[in-house]
Amino acid sequence: MTSTEPPKNMEEELDFEIESIRAEIRNLQHKRRFLASSLLGSEDIQKRLRAHQSTTLNDELSPLMRAAGKHAEINHHRVAFSATAFPFKDPSPNSENPNLLGVRIDICARNGRFTKPYYVLLKRVHGEEKRLKVHQHTIPAFIPMHVLENLFLPLPSTRPDSEEENLKPWKKSTDSQDLNAFVRELRRQLAAWHLRMDAVQMLRENLGIIRRGVDDYDDDDGVWERNILSDNQEETRLAQNDLGIVSLSPTALDTTYVRLEWHDGRVGRFKISDTGTVERAVVIGDNGRDKSTEIVLTGGDGRVETVLDRLKQQVPPQL
Amino acid sequence: MVRPKSIRAPTTASLPSNLLIPSTTPSLVKALGKLPRQALLDLVFHWLDDRNVQLFAPYLESDEADNAEDEGLGPYPAERTIDDVRNAYQELQVRKGGKREVVDRILEGDWRHGVTLRQLAMVDLRYLDNHPASLRWTALELTRIGADGGESSLTDGLACVPRIHASTFLNNVQQQISPLVKAHYYLARSHSLPLTFLRIFVTTSPYQHPRHSAETLTDSSRVIYVAFPDSSPYVYTSIASSSSSRSSTNAFATDVRSLQRIVRDAIPKALSLPQQRYALKATSLTAKNLQALLALRGPGRSNRANGAFSIFADAVADGSPLDPRPSNTVPPEELINQSKLEAPAKDTESRKENDSMTQPSGKRHRDSDTDILIPPKRKVAIHSRFGTSGYLSSASLDRFDVRILDRPQSDDDDEEADSAQPTVSLTFAGSDVIAGIRKLAELGIVDPERMPSWMTGEEGVSVAVVRQGNRVVKDSG
Repeated sequence: MTSTEPPKNMEEELDFEIESIRAEIRNLQHKRRFLASSLLGSEDIQKRLRAHQSTTLNDELSPLMRAAGKHAEINHHRVAFSATAFPFKDPSPNSENPNLLGVRIDICARNGRFTKPYYVLLKRVHGEEKRLKVHQHTIPAFIPMHVLENLFLPLPSTRPDSEEENLKPWKKSTDSQDLNAFVRELRRQLAAWHLRMDAVQMLRENLGIIRRGVDDYDDDDGVWERNILSDNQEETRLAQNDLGIVSLSPTALDTTYVRLEWHDGRVGRFKISDTGTVERAVVIGDNGRDKSTEIVLTGGDGRVETVLDRLKQQVPPQL
Repeated sequence: MVRPKSIRAPTTASLPSNLLIPSTTPSLVKALGKLPRQALLDLVFHWLDDRNVQLFAPYLESDEADNAEDEGLGPYPAERTIDDVRNAYQELQVRKGGKREVVDRILEGDWRHGVTLRQLAMVDLRYLDNHPASLRWTALELTRIGADGGESSLTDGLACVPRIHASTFLNNVQQQISPLVKAHYYLARSHSLPLTFLRIFVTTSPYQHPRHSAETLTDSSRVIYVAFPDSSPYVYTSIASSSSSRSSTNAFATDVRSLQRIVRDAIPKALSLPQQRYALKATSLTAKNLQALLALRGPGRSNRANGAFSIFADAVADGSPLDPRPSNTVPPEELINQSKLEAPAKDTESRKENDSMTQPSGKRHRDSDTDILIPPKRKVAIHSRFGTSGYLSSASLDRFDVRILDRPQSDDDDEEADSAQPTVSLTFAGSDVIAGIRKLAELGIVDPERMPSWMTGEEGVSVAVVRQGNRVVKDSG
């Protein structure tokens, strides 16, 4: 047993070492590429470049350099305007209108990073050159794309004008499409969703989050819940807090409703509006509705971010 | 738990969860034997937990006093307290051995008086959790029915994601089907996927304690599964037939299929609220893999972006606006993991998987540099057609039926006036059809530039009717 172990160990050690060196090389290459493109795309260098644009330098310029400059400019647009358009060609050989209009929506989250961009690809309606319809998109399912599409990008109705429309001309829907309004409304809903998620996440962090298996210390009681907002399905629970809240979590991915649970058995639910206020709240305990807590939840400035502060100021309810 | 055998009246209540199936039923051994030893032990500990032990009371010495006739005959003497039962299973936990001894201990020892319907449901769901591909699932879409019977009204900006309150929903289902079907319900959360499972067991007897044979109670064909994915307007069922063919069946039939139909029709009604009625619509997607259903009819980004457009769903088209690197210099594997923390261990793992490329199952993580055999031009074409599907994405269809309505000849010029129009039906089957077609394209068997887009999985369906390379969508369906 002793004779076989050392070489095996050594082999493993060497393998491990090689692997770690490879990982380091990858990391450094990654870093180099990152720094190189940051440098090339930086404002200083690009400015100097533009100063010499008229001269013959332009032809000698590395394509890498030009690509970096272009990319930086695109990124500036994406950061500044949040919704940007781009052309895309449908590779399908059977498509009648392979040229698609892509709309990209970038949304900045609480941690200063941008979320995965959302895309909507629009294509021309067959026969009607000026009209667009949604071809493909990456919008989450709870945002009603077909409703937005019907509202802002209506197709000319195939049925003849109904009697009602003739009698009430003001009710006649305008058949014109409004792509700007469509993108604006879509972006508003996406941004509101991310703000709601960020707000709930912030409330949870303020209360303290314990992750199961990571910073879990022996006691197994408490309400373990799966964090539906994160990609990995890890289970978390709230740390002990003086508000007595054992659970605070969104009821669904769209984070419109947040469910609360207190240590004394009270459960509550509140609705976050698109503007970030607590719109409605219900708290039910063993003795029926807890009106005072409900008023505290919706009271004050009504902001969802300050819900915990308001609860802290609340006089503990007499039982 | 002594059941009153004297009174038997038809009721509209559901089958009680504590209805006992006699432990001597042979199929119970099979049902429990599906689970591995550890899963069985986990379940037993769950049953014996302080909070649950009332519902799953084991057989104790005190029970023995009541019916003293078969005292001391069983191989497992009754334990004195619940703690003793727990200890017995702790011992099994420590000891290594087959699952058979655990099954025997459950059926002949501690639950010799019978296993409840709820326990059987828990066993089934545990099996489903461990084997997500053990059933065929059909995705159905929940749609709002407006007052005029058409699509939902424009003023209401909400998507069709009904909020489900478990007990209310079950009450409603029960109200819908109770005159026709007697059922047992079990609702549970999946351990591995963002899904909620509803297991419905159906019988025809109107009696609370039916005098069915015990075999009926364990008959797996009488079990219907419904899965509700989180925050998405879809429902998955294990019922094979599509919802469109509902009209012609005999209303008085009491076979298992019509019972299932009754249950399926009840689900959208139970989800409906006043002024907010839902209907189920077929979505032409049936697959074994629940992951694939979640990817194609789930809450996420990839519902309407597959095939060539999967680069957008996986956000590998270009990076974050704060990334200074032009997107064409960054490998897609890196972009896909952008939101997650970078783990160097993952890279080595994917490299190891490269060697097992020929294995049909599992996700295919392949570095682009390893496929040196593919000409670069074809590789570019494949990437533009398939995007990341069949390569980084994991929506694996096990079966893909296509009916082609075009005439079989290649040229349109020499059209003959024949009345009989043959149609060509293709069926692809395998562990991952789209990945297979991608592989064929890599090998040069399929021309990646000329193939129609349904071959890339762009439509996200498992049944398609195709004309001139484009999918024909029936308005009625």
